[in-house]
Amino acid sequence: MRVAVVGLGAVGIRAARQLASTSEVEALLLRDPRAGRADEVAAAIGAVARVDHTTELPDTDVVVLAGPCRTQVALARDAVSKGCHVVSVSDDVGDVKALLELGPEAEARGVSVIAGASFAPGLSCVLAAHAAGSLDRVEEIHSAALGTGGPACAVQHHAALGGRAIEWRDGGWLHTPSGSGRELCWFPEPVGAADCYRGALPGPLLLVPAFPGIARVTARVAATRRDRLTGHLPMLRPPHPEGGVGAVRVEARGWRGSVSDTVVLGVMDRPAVAAGAVAALAAVSAGSGSVRRRGAGGLAELIEPLSFLHELARRGVKAAVFEGRSLFA
Amino acid sequence: MTLLRRALAALGIAGLVAAVLRLRGSGGVPPQQGGWRELSGPDLR
Repeated sequence: MRVAVVGLGAVGIRAARQLASTSEVEALLLRDPRAGRADEVAAAIGAVARVDHTTELPDTDVVVLAGPCRTQVALARDAVSKGCHVVSVSDDVGDVKALLELGPEAEARGVSVIAGASFAPGLSCVLAAHAAGSLDRVEEIHSAALGTGGPACAVQHHAALGGRAIEWRDGGWLHTPSGSGRELCWFPEPVGAADCYRGALPGPLLLVPAFPGIARVTARVAATRRDRLTGHLPMLRPPHPEGGVGAVRVEARGWRGSVSDTVVLGVMDRPAVAAGAVAALAAVSAGSGSVRRRGAGGLAELIEPLSFLHELARRGVKAAVFEGRSLFA
Repeated sequence: MTLLRRALAALGIAGLVAAVLRLRGSGGVPPQQGGWRELSGPDLR
């Protein structure tokens, strides 16, 4: 298959590297608005990669949109109209809503639009699907993420704490202030515990359609007091080139037979590295036709989680399960 | 004195109801002790 990667930031480069080492990918086209960036990355990746200098969207089977948030929807619309599968790494609520709205057209054209194929959402959706699959009936899914990838991700983290949080409760959307709802979440070691808060995060938008009848879906993000205090202001200092180790965890609550049960899964990794692997695997799934259906959706809805996690583990992104017991069990 | 007895009784009943709900609530109690284990071979088949 032929794959294009548009946007070569921290996530885009990792996705391109992962795609270059995938046997199904015959050609990899790279594009970035910064002069020389695509040439530099193509030279580092090797023969399978080449730079796309055209102004039109490249003619490929799949396009991975890894540019900054709020630049991806027009490209996705263009790609769908050309019959090309789309994988977007955007974690902006507006982007995800707009991408999901492309569903009917994508379905009519026989292509997939995979929205939020990143760390959180993305990996969190895969973990949610796997956790929910081990229960007979799932009632609640709660996800939390810690850490950021590149500078665009740090900007988005800042924006998420300044917007309105959305969560699903008893059949309806609930809008709450970002930075509220503090919860101490335990991530895989060595990350450990961190205070997590509601934010303008698109995870629930992608998870709710995947689990019809679910009662509650929430998403939280780890933040410091300064993050919450300055969330409504412009960023006071430029974002870092790339954040350190991050983590994501998903808690699915439901029933096994007549017994209530909770499954907690998590991943600890550098967010941009894991996001790149998730985006690349999503692109391969879309291009090879192994997605569950055509149209727009998140990974929880469109992919088979077990094989996806297996392939992620082979590429070094390893999930973990929290094996614990309740004090009251 | 009666007021104090009634207040104490109300607090006791509220505590009892809360304890019953905490232990028998439909949502279950999330794990509070344990550790992380990497998913490996059999978990991913």
